[in-house]
Amino acid sequence: MAPPATAVADALASPARPRDSRANIDIMAPTKGVQWPYFLALGAAVLGVLQALVVLLYQTYVGLGVAGYQQPVFWGLYIVTFVFWIGIGHAGTLISAILFLFRAKWRNAVNRGAEALTVFAVITAALFPILHLGRIWKLYYLIPYPNQRSLWVNFKSPLLWDVFAISTYASISVIFFYIGLIPDIAIARDRATGVKKAIYTVLALGWQGTGPQWKAHSRSVLHLSGLATPLVLSVHSVVSWDFAMSIVPGWHATIFAPYFVAGAVFGGFAMVINIMIPVRRIFRLERYLTDYHFENMSRFILLTSTICGYAYAAEYFIAWYSGVEFEQSSFWLRAFGPYWLSTWCMITFNVILPQLLWIKRLRTNLPFLFGLCFFINIGMWFERYVIIITSLSREYITGSWGLYVISPVELSVLAGSFCWFSMWFLLFLKVFPVIAITEVKELEIHARDHGGAH
Amino acid sequence: MPTLVSVFDFPSNTAAAVRKLKDRGFDDLTTYSPAPFEELEEAEDPKPSKVRRFTLVGALSGVFLGFLMQIWMSLEWPIKIAGKNFASIPPFWIVGFELTILLGGFFTLFGLLIVGGLYPKRLDKHYNLRFSAEEFGVVVTCEERDVAEVEALLRGESAKEVTLADS
Repeated sequence: MAPPATAVADALASPARPRDSRANIDIMAPTKGVQWPYFLALGAAVLGVLQALVVLLYQTYVGLGVAGYQQPVFWGLYIVTFVFWIGIGHAGTLISAILFLFRAKWRNAVNRGAEALTVFAVITAALFPILHLGRIWKLYYLIPYPNQRSLWVNFKSPLLWDVFAISTYASISVIFFYIGLIPDIAIARDRATGVKKAIYTVLALGWQGTGPQWKAHSRSVLHLSGLATPLVLSVHSVVSWDFAMSIVPGWHATIFAPYFVAGAVFGGFAMVINIMIPVRRIFRLERYLTDYHFENMSRFILLTSTICGYAYAAEYFIAWYSGVEFEQSSFWLRAFGPYWLSTWCMITFNVILPQLLWIKRLRTNLPFLFGLCFFINIGMWFERYVIIITSLSREYITGSWGLYVISPVELSVLAGSFCWFSMWFLLFLKVFPVIAITEVKELEIHARDHGGAH
Repeated sequence: MPTLVSVFDFPSNTAAAVRKLKDRGFDDLTTYSPAPFEELEEAEDPKPSKVRRFTLVGALSGVFLGFLMQIWMSLEWPIKIAGKNFASIPPFWIVGFELTILLGGFFTLFGLLIVGGLYPKRLDKHYNLRFSAEEFGVVVTCEERDVAEVEALLRGESAKEVTLADS
């Protein structure tokens, strides 16, 4: 017979500090302590951002001419890099929303890192159209604001669609990221002291894991997934229409939307792998981020690489089959014109090399995956370079053809963008758990409960 | 009234205990869980969450306001573009769609905060950091005369600890 509750109450009056869960300890470990390599990396990132800031001040003062903007190419490296970073942001939402709706449980270990990557990639991308304006103080012209002259923006322009698509995507990504974080912030709050505890307490919003809280949380994540799924497909489609709605040879193609979305997911997964492999190694998270997770991500890379390969082939086929001379010339010059190297880098890194992932042994070989994904990221940047620069430099009238040369200012800002992204990701690593602790626990406890462990 | 705080190791036991307590009419209870478990949510409250209403209202407001804004602004400053009507509906679907998602997302967040009662506040008296580790808690408030029955019921479902706390 059970002892009376009063007796048990006495025994528990001064309970020893309860044993913490292994997931809490392991996954919160990177947020604790001070390691000099971390500060070295953060310092380098901040310096990179500062040098880009100085260069941008110079560009703002002197004008966009210093950024390589010359006739006929007025969409240069900034737009190339904007599309690149927006694409990188797509893997996070795909993992968080689409794989959630498909109930792919393996996503639980990678979704937090991928969501953070999405948020930071989008805030990096969002800077580029602003830098591209030149007169950055006129940024507010992009939004419909009440004014005395009743001037409103042009809602029939793809550029304006992009403003709404990117700002919506940034907002939804941040909401998704924060909602997912709340239960984990509560875990951090319960174990923190001092200022950290005060900050976590505010951010955790009184989370205690009660029934109504979990129910509201689960349904919110479900509904946000339902909203984010069409959003993620729409965002890069809208970005692609910045090009496809024009009549520039090489841009005016109906395949652009699915082609861009597949490319975005492809590049995004490559970046997730490039970041999560060192994170796993440095913070010893092998128990949570297993080879199985990386193999699944490599399968996505293989699939989307093949879709990209199909899109590249379809573009060339349509250019030839259309019989339109300008289109044919544009594509011929992509492969054999002055920008041939970028085109062949794109094809090699994005289509040919990823086919090695048909070999299972390579899908779980992390050093190989890391190297492959590094080249895929370069290839995906070149893809945007090829689309934008080669098309603009070789339009209809041969007399207006020109050669685009990247300027040192653009290179400095490009490097600064990687530092800006890294800076946010490094700060994130020190403040929030890089793996969703509650989602890992959900799987572990479920397995123990229904796996005959009790 | 007395309050019993019980601790469980597994969601299935916790859910079974909650179901039995509710069947016996002990409705004044709170559960704490380290992770989301559908069986526990079902046992405690099988009704659909009200968050869905917030999402629906937000999404509908977004599509309505999105089209209204574009149509009004296009008529307010009429410029003929590509021979289309001033208020040409097909291109307005893009911004209309984006605002549907945007307001749907914001309203879902508000729904979570309101329905889940999330705002910076003092934690429950019986909340314990064990519940953000790997253990489950069920806190039941009952009449003095029911303490023994509730305790037996909790232990019958493998509660590893049951403690009588002040109410």
